[in-house]
Amino acid sequence: MSFTGAVKTFGSVRAVDGIDLEMAGGETVALLGRNGAGKSTAISLLLGLNEPDEGVVRLFGAAPEEAARAGRVGAMLQDGRPVPRVTVGELVGFVARTYPAPMPVAEALELAGIAELAGRRVDRLSGGQTQRVRFAVALIGNPALIVLDEPTAALDVEARYAFWDSMRAYARRGHTVLFSTHYLEEADANADRIVVIDRGRIVADGSGEQLRRSAGGNLVVFDLAGRSTEGLTLLPGVVSVEVRGDRARLRTEDSDATVIALAGMGAVRGLEVAPASLDDAFLALTSGSSNVLERV
Amino acid sequence: MAVTGVVWEYLRLEVRRTLRDTGFVIGGVAMPVAMYLLFTNLGDGDDSGWKTASMVGMAAYGAMNSALNTGAGVAEDRSTGWLRQLRITPMTPRQVVIGRALTGAVTVLPALVAVLAAGGLVNGVRLDLWKWAAIALLLWLGSIPFTLLGLGNGYRLTAQTTGVANMACNLVLAVVGGLWFPLALFPEWLRSLSAYTPTNRFAQLGTAVADGHAPTLGTVLVLSLWLLAFGSYAVTSYRRTARTV
Repeated sequence: MSFTGAVKTFGSVRAVDGIDLEMAGGETVALLGRNGAGKSTAISLLLGLNEPDEGVVRLFGAAPEEAARAGRVGAMLQDGRPVPRVTVGELVGFVARTYPAPMPVAEALELAGIAELAGRRVDRLSGGQTQRVRFAVALIGNPALIVLDEPTAALDVEARYAFWDSMRAYARRGHTVLFSTHYLEEADANADRIVVIDRGRIVADGSGEQLRRSAGGNLVVFDLAGRSTEGLTLLPGVVSVEVRGDRARLRTEDSDATVIALAGMGAVRGLEVAPASLDDAFLALTSGSSNVLERV
Repeated sequence: MAVTGVVWEYLRLEVRRTLRDTGFVIGGVAMPVAMYLLFTNLGDGDDSGWKTASMVGMAAYGAMNSALNTGAGVAEDRSTGWLRQLRITPMTPRQVVIGRALTGAVTVLPALVAVLAAGGLVNGVRLDLWKWAAIALLLWLGSIPFTLLGLGNGYRLTAQTTGVANMACNLVLAVVGGLWFPLALFPEWLRSLSAYTPTNRFAQLGTAVADGHAPTLGTVLVLSLWLLAFGSYAVTSYRRTARTV
């Protein structure tokens, strides 16, 4: 699957603003970004539901529509509401028969964790159950690529864990999975590779560990005690500066050098040194500060 | 024949969904039967000519109602994202549209058959066997323009406005076309207007056969024009929204 210079605008908004991305078979990739970052638009381009204004999107070496016609794609779309007046078994069974080489319905329901709901009507299930039905619909065709657009957006914590268990079980069979999320932990825990998208552009691409490192390995936090933040970005090792309350948070690639410099300034008050979390990495990546972007 | 196989599966699914719709069964099937029995048995009750004419009119009304309902189904499927989901499956847009139109053709039958059955079994309408068959067949074929009108509404409008638009089309066409009340009750100007409505000509397909002759050329001509008009409406509506479904 590949995006080459893909652009999609809605009015004056460049929802997808020049994306270049390649995905290999068997990978589980997370598309991570805030709401409105362009995740869903990118996915609609990938699935052929929308056409890019510029650039090219290919799926298995063909146009996305053709890949869909060949039964190589399954998807769980965002904002899908349950199909009224069908049972789970009827719905999943029907979708199976539209694909050339589907898996048995019972197997798909089992994988999605809804084997016992086969006879129930789709429009009379709970939110978590509905989501699993849609997961079963996405995977029933046994497609080479499965795309999940914010699959856990409306789920409670327990349902979310159960869902990811199912997803990982499916990915382990060697299928390629692309999912979008705005939850960092989900991306970190469930994907081999995280692609961070912000304002329609890809700002980072790598494993969770690589992202953590790229955003500055450590965090040095200390009380400003009224001191101005001027000059802090120039300290050795410092990648970015953020102030929360009266505490300055310096992301740094060399915390030793940063701390020594701070000590030289007499600024050591309530000092803390900690590894940067993925949260910090994400904030740094999507804040738009150019020094971070260049490093990635 | 994998193509027809998928359309057949889709047709089965959608017909099943329609028949499970309580609103469809009550409003679309039971209502025309109830109205027919009511309208023909309120008076002295032995005007067999009216019993036959009203049977055809109400069967036509029921068929039109069900045909329009197909469009409501499309609007619903657009709003739930089901049509969007289908675009990711190997089904082609063409197969989806054909499947939907066939669903319309099938779901027209319950109302049609139920009203004719009420005429024959309850109201004692007696016709030759070939006439029953011809009336059913002609009303079935004649419902196609209304399926297209419903699909046009369903592809163009939201689920809510489709419901309202279908109801408005339904009422106006039924009353002005003379499906509910005999045309003889209408003032002269309305009667001449009525002759140009698709519903009036639709019912005439059946009444002509009941009277023992073929539908007139005028009837076929007017219906063909409406078929063309509603067909173009359905196609432009579909083209307008297909890419955003």
